[in-house]
Amino acid sequence: MENAVGPVLRMCDEVESVVRAIQDDNPADLEIVDRGAYVRVQRQGFLRVTRGSLERHLGAGFQMSRLESIMSAFAGRIRTSSDEIVWYLQGAGIPSEERPR
Amino acid sequence: MALMKREEWQDLVRDVDWTLSYADDDAVFPEWQSGNGKIPREAWSAWEESYKISYPEYVSVQAEKEAAAFAVKAALQRSTIFSSLDEGWKSCAKVHFGGVSLAEYTAFMAEARMARFGLAAPWRNMAVLGALDEIRHCQLSLFFAHEFVSKDPQYDWALKAFHTNDWAIVSARSLFDAMMVAGNVVDTAIQLPLVFETGFTNLQFVGLASDALASGDINFANMISSVQTDEARHAQQGGPTLELLMKHDPVRAQWIVDKMFWLSARVFAVLTGPAMDYYTPLDHRKQSYKEFMEEWIIGQFIRTLQDYGLKKPWYWEEFIEGLDIWHHSLHLGVWFWRQTVWWKPQAGVSKAERNWLNMKYPKWEEIYGPIWDQIIVNVNCGNMQATLPETVPWLCNACHLPLCTYTSSPDGKYRVRDFPLMHNNYTYHFCSKVCRQIWWEDRDMLHVKTIGERLLAGEIQPDDFSGILQYMGLTPDVMGDDAYGYKWAADYREPLGPKSSHPRPNSTRRREGVPSEALSIPINAKFGDDFVMHLVVVNTSDTMTEVAQRVAYHSVGKRVRPQDRAMVVYYEGRAVADDESVSQVGIGPFQQIFVDYASDSRGGR
Repeated sequence: MENAVGPVLRMCDEVESVVRAIQDDNPADLEIVDRGAYVRVQRQGFLRVTRGSLERHLGAGFQMSRLESIMSAFAGRIRTSSDEIVWYLQGAGIPSEERPR
Repeated sequence: MALMKREEWQDLVRDVDWTLSYADDDAVFPEWQSGNGKIPREAWSAWEESYKISYPEYVSVQAEKEAAAFAVKAALQRSTIFSSLDEGWKSCAKVHFGGVSLAEYTAFMAEARMARFGLAAPWRNMAVLGALDEIRHCQLSLFFAHEFVSKDPQYDWALKAFHTNDWAIVSARSLFDAMMVAGNVVDTAIQLPLVFETGFTNLQFVGLASDALASGDINFANMISSVQTDEARHAQQGGPTLELLMKHDPVRAQWIVDKMFWLSARVFAVLTGPAMDYYTPLDHRKQSYKEFMEEWIIGQFIRTLQDYGLKKPWYWEEFIEGLDIWHHSLHLGVWFWRQTVWWKPQAGVSKAERNWLNMKYPKWEEIYGPIWDQIIVNVNCGNMQATLPETVPWLCNACHLPLCTYTSSPDGKYRVRDFPLMHNNYTYHFCSKVCRQIWWEDRDMLHVKTIGERLLAGEIQPDDFSGILQYMGLTPDVMGDDAYGYKWAADYREPLGPKSSHPRPNSTRRREGVPSEALSIPINAKFGDDFVMHLVVVNTSDTMTEVAQRVAYHSVGKRVRPQDRAMVVYYEGRAVADDESVSQVGIGPFQQIFVDYASDSRGGR
């Protein structure tokens, strides 16, 4: 995939739930690469995960900062807030409605 | 009570800059430490971290990570998993523990310096957390290795390695000193968090974790992938620093990235390449080293660098060509000089493994097949002495790795070349044009003497191979040997070629009968298609026939198949007459010669 961005999740119990949350937030064009000890979740140019989706799959009160303990690496650039994390590349021609705020 | 969101208060509490009144700004943030360069002082107020975290969040998340890592360790400590791990795989872990544990401590120093001298308050804040991270990584690596010390003393090198002058450590220490502690903190932020942690450490800590898990080393896989979650955060100090540098001094930014990318790639070729393509048991290899490099470095990291406006490094084609070469040569060197390392290198060239190598690396058989074939003949003949070295490889003055890089020639053949540089009446040698250029530009940062130079300066006594092993701290209980006790060679019981033979031994010391005015001089020499250049001592009175024999001694019958043909010495690209002496030809100390079997027409090399 060209201009792939997104998290690389390490082996842990929550991987499936995080992947499902990311799928909820990015219904189209998501690619998942499973290499055993790590799982790449990626999309072209822009990918987002919200606290709302994570809470749905991992339980109410999930703090975004907890995602750090699951994420060994990521492709692209990152921007974090209390409500969402986005991965992006500036030069990847991201639609304006998807640009990181 | 509902807590305020972090973004509602973090800008206020992390802005701990104030206008200094008791001291000058230059005194508090001196240029040689803070590295402002062409960036206006006020521009630093725009520095903003993209990966935000508060201290309470940090403590909470880190506690969770530690609990998870130690829970797995505690559970597995009672199991018999360790005894069932493959010896080749254990070498991956031993290389990691020795090569990485105290590099993590050096990284702590780098983070602490950024926490003190970084010119933006949010940066200093992130670096404090980064420093705490690196202490954690150092402690984890030492603690996880310590469990196995009573079972295998090679694990003791997790703590010991960086306190020795082992050649692999000299190479790693030279890189990490230049990357983490020798430069100002702006250079450090580009070199360590950006190039090394956003790029290369992913390969060792995440890529290798997949091989570890497949090999059954759950504990190791869990530990290294936990470490990398910290790196993913604190590596983000690099981005905003790079943005400022790209705006105000893009030439400096490009140079720092290019330089550190190359030097990191060189060291990873010996740290990670053999682990992935030779030590990890064949059935458990997830991808080849080249494929992991393509995934993590070419696909992921370079694309991000381009997003910041950087160009691909000027040496891109050489780097790509090196993905098929560097780590195979270095692996061959590590295996042949196996007594000089603290792990047991797995040769990794059984027939099945060789098929895999040829599938992943189509040029492998042409370049490395004949060399391994000669080694296999020697192993199967029981001529183990011919599988061990008696001198040292010539080491590169920039990356401190042996001169063993094959590059393609216009005739399609791959050859190992030397890239010398005369400076202040001293000849330096490099494995590549790129190492030579980096050294020339930044020679004030890269001035560690190679092991070979230390030997020639008399710093290593006795000045023979036993003295070298002693100097490197290798004791018989620790020094490496073949991981499987050479059982893999049984695959090739049918002779591959003529029985092992070896030229008459000739001492590298002065011989009896040499005229008293003759001097012994060290030269950098390579024989034929052998993969590496050696330090060979010749006498100024030696004829070229004698010089050829001295050079052949370290290659022919060991890694080069013997042939019943005369040998020719080439110096400065031309064949030299057999009866001319070293002094007549004008070969001086530290100069490079090439020796090969004579062909029908003697051309220059």
